[in-house]
Amino acid sequence: MQTVQTTGLASTSRKNRTRSGRLAALVPYAFVAAPLAYLGVFMFWPLGRQIWMSLTDTRLMNPTHGDFVGLENYRDLLTDPQFYTSLNVTILYTLWTVVLGVGLGTVAALAMDRPFKGRTIIRAILLFGWAVPNVAATLVWLWIFNGPSGVANEITEWLGLGRIQWLTSIQWALPSILAVTVWQVAPFVMLVMLAALQSVPEEVREACRIDGADGLNVFRNVTLPYIMPTMQLVSLLVAVWSIRRFEIIYLLTGGGPIGSTSTLVVQIRLTAFEDYELGLASAYGAVGLLLALLVALINYLFERRRAKVMSK
Amino acid sequence: MKNAPLTAALRALLIVVLVTFAGFPIYWMASTALNVNAQLYNTGQVPWLQFGNLPELFRELVELPLLRWLFNTGLIAGGTTALSLTMGSILGYALSRFRFHGRGMIGFLMFMTQVIPEALLVVPLYAMFITMGLLNSLWGLVLANVGFSLPVAAFILKSAMDAIPYEIEESATIDNCPRVGILTFIILPLIAPSLAAAAVISFFAGWNEFLFAATFLMDRELWPTSVGLASFIGQYETPLSAVMGAALVFSLPAVAFFLLVQRKIVAGLTSGAVKG
Repeated sequence: MQTVQTTGLASTSRKNRTRSGRLAALVPYAFVAAPLAYLGVFMFWPLGRQIWMSLTDTRLMNPTHGDFVGLENYRDLLTDPQFYTSLNVTILYTLWTVVLGVGLGTVAALAMDRPFKGRTIIRAILLFGWAVPNVAATLVWLWIFNGPSGVANEITEWLGLGRIQWLTSIQWALPSILAVTVWQVAPFVMLVMLAALQSVPEEVREACRIDGADGLNVFRNVTLPYIMPTMQLVSLLVAVWSIRRFEIIYLLTGGGPIGSTSTLVVQIRLTAFEDYELGLASAYGAVGLLLALLVALINYLFERRRAKVMSK
Repeated sequence: MKNAPLTAALRALLIVVLVTFAGFPIYWMASTALNVNAQLYNTGQVPWLQFGNLPELFRELVELPLLRWLFNTGLIAGGTTALSLTMGSILGYALSRFRFHGRGMIGFLMFMTQVIPEALLVVPLYAMFITMGLLNSLWGLVLANVGFSLPVAAFILKSAMDAIPYEIEESATIDNCPRVGILTFIILPLIAPSLAAAAVISFFAGWNEFLFAATFLMDRELWPTSVGLASFIGQYETPLSAVMGAALVFSLPAVAFFLLVQRKIVAGLTSGAVKG
């Protein structure tokens, strides 16, 4: 991973323990001091404070004071039916965005891999969803999904399926949010997978074809093993983003109807700013963070196992 | 390859479906902007682009405080970029060029910042900004945004610097050129494309941000475009075509710049995540 040249810079070796050597050993810390101090103050201190808040009864009216109540907020969480709904919808949403987003993105990358006329412009169009700001995307999708005059309902009505309450029925709200999410996420997956596909050596594919393998076989035995590590990485990214995602869910449904699309992260907002229960909101947040870390850990374990298999 | 034409036809069909799904919402944004509100609410939307309505759209757009919003958005995005790039390049340089105790820990902390949900930091930052007097200020917003974009910028810049051979800066080291000088005048010009990608990511992180802005800014005068546009959601009488026109204006720079630096962004993000 490290290049040989760069290690020549580390002047912390024993024979360099002169005064200037010791000073030189401090240089890296001088470099990282400001950015780290920054992240400490604006990221990790607030994060720690938020986790601490989950052990207090802080309320929004007075956010800087709260009494320590131990695990009471977590006990409340476990007796709150909304917690199970939120946990459930977070996991469902995350799994579906990974399956559909990574699936569609990879299929798109495979279709776009070979050069054809107009590929650059089509590639640009396919990337729209990734580049458009969340709020702008939400606005147009809200209009598309609008009950009385939205185009989605015009289409379903024309198809004879009748009108659908896209964002306001328990049955359709989550699938509608998923459609918007896939629209945003799949382009990024496609971009990453296209880069990965370029690393597949064409000679190997060709040799496989000459040996009589059909397209599907070539894909399964040559292409797939090459792009698998990237696919796993991009799945991790998509999963973590889904657990973190707030804006489009909050703006599309506000977590409704009756909390059915309120993921853990949306629930932080609702509990804090509608119920004013900062302690409980923090507990929701802590569970959300734990879930994201769990996904990262699973990915890390997979990665390590693959590294072992490869070194054998 | 007897079924090659069939495969090609299926692929063409697939691409048509994908283009429709990906492009339709943007087309619809434009189409809605070019309808007049009476059509949208009464007679039904005219699905094609009525360019004849451009003057009408322009008249409606002027009634929105769009320029004010875009100005604020630009300030937030510019501040976020300046801070992220300055700190990101020194952090990226240190991670690329030095081996020191705690280096792995820093990598882990940077990875952590990508896992933390923004919504989790809203309340503690809010409380902190009250005491620091940064509530209802664009500065506070920049400071909150940079926490998320700085590590990404550092990832991108570090992976670009890793590809620059050390010999290039060695002669400058012997000439006792300070390291910061080496970074600024030798390394950064060499990785200009990656620097541009990091700039685009930071800029549009600030440009698109909604949650912090919606929570920390009370003053309407300070609203960025994201908050201004979102304020129309759920309103009874929305000037829909103007809102869509504004959304289009708001999206255009993001789309243009992301398309410009797409490949570099992918390289930086994936390498950062792999090594995190």
